[in-house]
Amino acid sequence: MTAPPLRRGTRLGSGTLSFTFDGRRYTGQVGDCAASALLANGVRLMGRSVKYRRRRGLLGAGPEEPNALFTVGTQAQLIPNVQATQLLLREGLTLRSQNRWPSLQVDLASLLQAGGGLFGAGFYYKTFMWPSWRSYEPLIRRLAGLGDAPLACDLPMPATEHLDCDVLVTGAGPAGLAAALAAARAGARIVLCESEPLCGGELEFERGRIDGQDSDSWLAAMLTELDRLGVRVLTSTTVVADNHGEFIAHAEPGGLPGSNTVYRIRARTMIAAAGALERPIIFANNDLPGVMLLGAAERYLARYGTAVGRDLVLFANHDRAYASAQRLLVGGMRVRAIVDARTDAHSAVGLSDGNALQSLKGSLATAGVEILSASAVTIAEGGRAVRAARIAPLASGGHERRISCDTILVSGGWSPALYADLHGSGAHAYAPELGSFVAAAQSDWHIHAGAANGRLDLAAAMSDGHAAGTRAAAAAGATGDSGSPPQARGDPPPRLAPFARSPCPLVGEKRQFIDLQNDVTVADLRIALAEGFSDIEHVKRYTTLGIGTDQGRSSAVVGAAILAELKGESPAIVGISRSRPPYQPVTMRSIAGFHHGDAVMITRRTPLHDWHAAHGGVLEPMGLWMRPRFYRASGANAADAAVAEARRVRAHGGIADSSTLGKLEIAGPEAAAFLDFMYLGKASTIRVGRSRYMVSLREDGMVLDDGLVLRLAEDRFLATTSSGHGTHMLSHFEHYQAARWSARGATVTDLTDAWAVIVAAGPQSRSTLAQLLGAAWQGPLAQLGHMDFTAGRYAGQDLRLLRASFSGELAFELHCRPAIAARLWEALNAAGLTPYGLDALDILRVEKGYLVSSELNGQTTPLDLGMEALVISSSACLGQALLDRPAFHEASRPRLVGLRAADGRAPFLAGAQLTIDAAPTRPCGYITSSVYSPTLGEWLGLALLARERAAEGATVMARDPLRGRNTPVRVVSPVHFDPTSARMKV
Amino acid sequence: MTRLACPFCGPRELREFEFHKTGPAAGGQGEFERVYLRVADPQLSIEHWQHVGGCRAWLLVHRNPSSGLPLAVELLAGNAP
Repeated sequence: MTAPPLRRGTRLGSGTLSFTFDGRRYTGQVGDCAASALLANGVRLMGRSVKYRRRRGLLGAGPEEPNALFTVGTQAQLIPNVQATQLLLREGLTLRSQNRWPSLQVDLASLLQAGGGLFGAGFYYKTFMWPSWRSYEPLIRRLAGLGDAPLACDLPMPATEHLDCDVLVTGAGPAGLAAALAAARAGARIVLCESEPLCGGELEFERGRIDGQDSDSWLAAMLTELDRLGVRVLTSTTVVADNHGEFIAHAEPGGLPGSNTVYRIRARTMIAAAGALERPIIFANNDLPGVMLLGAAERYLARYGTAVGRDLVLFANHDRAYASAQRLLVGGMRVRAIVDARTDAHSAVGLSDGNALQSLKGSLATAGVEILSASAVTIAEGGRAVRAARIAPLASGGHERRISCDTILVSGGWSPALYADLHGSGAHAYAPELGSFVAAAQSDWHIHAGAANGRLDLAAAMSDGHAAGTRAAAAAGATGDSGSPPQARGDPPPRLAPFARSPCPLVGEKRQFIDLQNDVTVADLRIALAEGFSDIEHVKRYTTLGIGTDQGRSSAVVGAAILAELKGESPAIVGISRSRPPYQPVTMRSIAGFHHGDAVMITRRTPLHDWHAAHGGVLEPMGLWMRPRFYRASGANAADAAVAEARRVRAHGGIADSSTLGKLEIAGPEAAAFLDFMYLGKASTIRVGRSRYMVSLREDGMVLDDGLVLRLAEDRFLATTSSGHGTHMLSHFEHYQAARWSARGATVTDLTDAWAVIVAAGPQSRSTLAQLLGAAWQGPLAQLGHMDFTAGRYAGQDLRLLRASFSGELAFELHCRPAIAARLWEALNAAGLTPYGLDALDILRVEKGYLVSSELNGQTTPLDLGMEALVISSSACLGQALLDRPAFHEASRPRLVGLRAADGRAPFLAGAQLTIDAAPTRPCGYITSSVYSPTLGEWLGLALLARERAAEGATVMARDPLRGRNTPVRVVSPVHFDPTSARMKV
Repeated sequence: MTRLACPFCGPRELREFEFHKTGPAAGGQGEFERVYLRVADPQLSIEHWQHVGGCRAWLLVHRNPSSGLPLAVELLAGNAP
């Protein structure tokens, strides 16, 4: 290990902090990020690559960092894939490297690579196919992926703050500050988000003069003015997504994903001024620890007082490298050479301040810096880290050089941070002078400014920012004077010549790494092209170029340029793949916010909810409702309890809570005509005081829902819906009421919560009710026919009594006001009708062949369900027209049938596929419902079976490979029990 | 597209509304065309939305799918295409 490089202390504080990395204790300084602290401790190896497990060190110093991803924290507070460059050091931090086993220094999987070279794109899918991918998958999955997800999560819940502003500015660099200032002066309300803990951006190391002051003084004065103008400045806060104009920003003061505050920002306009990201130039072994971005070295020096190395070779294609070299020299590092990919001629063309550059080059040469123009670093040499740079002239004839160094600093130009475009239209245009892409169309409400808009020169960036701020404020309706643009002078323009990669023999392209986070090389791009994946988005998916947590921040533009080179096309034609939000990794915990546990969804409670819970009811969700499956007192386990409850209903009677049924009142002079349209069959022929089972269709002809429709008066109906469908059916009725019936007399009112429904079912139900309800109800109870209802009072409240049955027994629905539901329920219970749950109800209804959502599953027409008579008798209704389609009448369409085991004993379960012997692997149907019937002493099923196989008496095989059970079953009528319904019509 | 201007409630956030469907091709002949055929005009989409998180009104929303911006919002009142 090399001796620790020099250290001068961070800008952000003083004092020391201790932390551990892979179990070893280190000391850093207050204000350090994890990366700078490790760097200052001489640590260069910070991770292994995801696929090849190659040794990796830092590339960058900011959000572009692809290599140094750590798992931070312990146990339930673990957060994987944290960029070391973003993570602010604090006392006692526990860091672990990723993608290595057993240790970072020695990784077994990396040995896999030693034998046969590197596996290229598509290798896994082509190689691990015999006998099947599945036999290799567990091992490969163990080796693949970034950090491990924690098994438990005990992270604190973030606060949510809603902000409203005229202009949201993302990025508080020179352009963002100028934009915010201009817009605020014009009178707009501004929120300014800066990802870094400090404002200023590039001004941190680029020493410019602005409005006659040095940049530090200007910055301090501007922050004071922004504060005075009421600008909300949020530092350490990144805008990560644009949710249809609602911008989501995460405040991560420690640089650790997992926001302490999530901002939801409603902005009229947005200015993206997130700057530009430096990109590398690609050469062989460019992933070796010690190859870093030039700008990163500058930031480590300026902000953290940390030297990235002792002996540097710089490799660039622009003039900025010379100013950088000067600053690094002043910082105490030795710059061995500057390798400039441009020719002398290029760097001198149109040089207004050519003299300044020449004198800078002169002083660098005096300081011992060798300047090699029209040359390129072709190979980074070294085993564990960089030991030397191999340099070749780009023109033929020159000779190769080898310069010893411990660090190669590379800069291939700057790519505007288009990621801020987030969900916007995202159209890009190629800018040859940048060798990169800029936002193409700029609307008034989504403006890129400064370096993010391709203005790399300080003066241009600031005037661009000012113009953007002025425009955004005007678009938001602010009419004040935005003042004059700041006059700035910084580093001279870079005068860049696009240069994406160094010359390399074909075999070496396997070690020219483009995407370090995903181990994508130039060779991989060639494979993708050879396989026919030539579009940039296809190349992204085939090679994984630009996927992952960094979404190609350091690789997408270089990758596009190299793809263009390989295809022989202009980058303008190749384009760039689209990055996806979030802009920075965020934790699921911060996305979820308070929406977790019980707060994920609301819970609807029936008036009897508390009674069920207090009396051993085992509640389960049904839509938003909770309904009792069974009651613990009924049996030792769920199955026993359900069987006992069902048996009790058939033998004596029971009560069930059906308050969850949706209840819609349809009223008005044309209510009957409206329902005729909404339902199959004619509601208009229902007599007042009676009800009918009705089925509604979707407009494509599939059954949507079923329920009873009660005619309360000539012009008033109550339609009940399935419990899980109530909310949807309300919208459905309202939709057609608005779309087709708005000028006509029919209204829709939701009465679901206005009525509790208690079902009293069983042979003793009538006598129990007669005893309970009192004299006034004796007559109606005795006279009430099947499907009739009557209304009266009980305990001073409205009570409606409907004789209808979903169990096949004599049964009554008691529609009562919620206030008396518990009283009525307890009285019925005390009178000997004990409660039964959904499981028992399921047994009872399968015995009778009644349908629930398993059969009304959105894929069945009324013809499939044996409702031909209903279809024929119906007047024109919603969905009926499309029932005529020929495919609905084919022999392969399903038909509802009943099933029993061929031997009368064997069990079979819903979900099993039905086959015939001639075609054992091609199902001709499946079982939708199955129960054990205590009444009939065997298993019963309902199934959807191809019509050509559905003749009663036919035998098919119920195949259930997942549960390892094959049962021969016999097709029977879906009505298993009491086919004449004698029991419920007594 | 942050807000839809509900004719009853004024401009309200998108999250209060629920998209239901894109209107069928104009001049749809039969029921099949009405149910299944949709216009794919990059500049104009006519859609059914409901203000479920507000007044529950059903709305006919004219929207530019390219920009995502609503062009006009009116009550769905027997005027469904």
